[in-house]
Amino acid sequence: MHKPVYISHLSLVTPLGNTVEQHFDGFKNGISGIKIIEKGGFQDTNIPLAKRTEITSNRYDTLLREALEKAQLKFTGLSGKTAVIVSSTKGNIDLLPGDTFAGTQPIIHEFFPKTDTFIISNACVSGVIAINTAADYLLAGKYDHVVVIGIDAVSEFVSYGFQSLFALSNETCKPFDKSRNGTVLGEGCGIVLVTIEKPSDFAVLYKGGSSSNDANHISGPSRTGEGLVRSIEKTFKRSGLTASKIDFVSAHGTATVFNDEMESIAFGRTNLDHVPLNSMKGYFGHTLGAAGVLETIMSIVSMEKNILFPNLGFKETGTSVPLNIIQRIESKELTTVLKTASGFGGGNASLILQKQS
Amino acid sequence: MKILAHSYVCPKGTYLNGNRLFDTSEEENPLKSAYQQLGVEYPKFYKMDVLSKMAFIGTELLLPFFPKGADLENDLQLIFANSSASQNTDNLFVESYEQIKNPSPSLFVYTLPNIVTGELCIRHKWYGENCFFVEDAFNPAHFSDWAQMGLNKGNNSCLCAWVEAKTNGEQECFLFLLTNSERDEHSIELELSTLIKQYRNE
Repeated sequence: MHKPVYISHLSLVTPLGNTVEQHFDGFKNGISGIKIIEKGGFQDTNIPLAKRTEITSNRYDTLLREALEKAQLKFTGLSGKTAVIVSSTKGNIDLLPGDTFAGTQPIIHEFFPKTDTFIISNACVSGVIAINTAADYLLAGKYDHVVVIGIDAVSEFVSYGFQSLFALSNETCKPFDKSRNGTVLGEGCGIVLVTIEKPSDFAVLYKGGSSSNDANHISGPSRTGEGLVRSIEKTFKRSGLTASKIDFVSAHGTATVFNDEMESIAFGRTNLDHVPLNSMKGYFGHTLGAAGVLETIMSIVSMEKNILFPNLGFKETGTSVPLNIIQRIESKELTTVLKTASGFGGGNASLILQKQS
Repeated sequence: MKILAHSYVCPKGTYLNGNRLFDTSEEENPLKSAYQQLGVEYPKFYKMDVLSKMAFIGTELLLPFFPKGADLENDLQLIFANSSASQNTDNLFVESYEQIKNPSPSLFVYTLPNIVTGELCIRHKWYGENCFFVEDAFNPAHFSDWAQMGLNKGNNSCLCAWVEAKTNGEQECFLFLLTNSERDEHSIELELSTLIKQYRNE
């Protein structure tokens, strides 16, 4: 067993608020960040988006700075060597035709001067891979703390792209529901601390993680869930845990017909179909490179409060393998949690968090 | 850690382990020419973006050097990086909706840098780990760390690539295959930085 790696949340900025407490309240009350945005889509179509409407320009930089300001306040009193890993699919897309990632490191350095900064851009699984990579760095003894930032902003680029693929819902995001008809894009920035030093705030243990590829299609999910199954199995092996130990699954659940169907098959194949599960896309929309980090933060909140949050938007089973979708807020002692993600490029990733005994 | 093999693909030519295999410097479409000279039947090649095309060619050449007897299907990690992500295709996609007024789904799916690793996994039935980093420039120390971290986790070998297609037309794909060595050999950083310099100066 490897040395303990701890993970705690530092900040969270989405349409639901700019503190973790606001998000806890939002989730408890079933509030969604999704709204119909007039002229948000191609040729001025109205589309649903989870957009932080307070921000009127320079969305990526603003989200990043807002989250970093909050994180910096909590990032104190740590000794040792620190790195930052940013997880983002598109960086500051508004800088096109210029370099979309060039502005990221200078902003990080405003808050974490001279800190080694890495950027991971691996589609929708970036966030989970970034946390896994942070743990790898700690276990290799390269750093003592890694600040992982998941961020993506809403943009016409991505909206038009998803519209061109007919992957967007015209109403709201209903992961795993029978009537789901596409995803809803969202934006946000979440920051976690992955560290070998036990944080004074609530923290959970990172037990292990992995990524995988479907080896099937660059934009469509595998029909058999093969890649996701292999990542979950590898993560179990690395963590020394099995499906029977998992108390809650924070799934990806984009609410596209094919993705959610794929996940249900994969969870069935890994004996996780009876484990309480949610997708948080009904609250956040799909925040792409930020999703894995945002959803890990709210999974940590679930573990701290011993609360299962409902899968907002779900009413009726709509996958060939029925899952144990959380439908109402519930108290449950949560010791061990599995987080999964899947995305374009055939990528899948997973990680396991455990409460310290 | 040791380097099992390396390849380099750019418009001038295609190289394997330091030797030039295809001279494409006079070709109007160098990557198409390199693909044809490779003699592999894979019609999907023509649909790929420049990043995937280069990585496809460079990877085909490395296949004979992969460790025999290893479970490559599960235990090969792909670690790729570049500085411009998918900026080249990003701009083409913007053109499709701003000028042609028709957002192109076939361009949009290539507006993520990790589509390259997806293409290679599909081609070779690799289900293992993938990660794509965006960095200012090729950094051999970072690749060395990432690969060592990958091998520490139980991966058998790492296929690494610096694969770049800049908007100014600069294109290169430097691929190298790494695995654990029995003897704790010297660091591979120096070797990697020498190799890329040699390839770039060819």
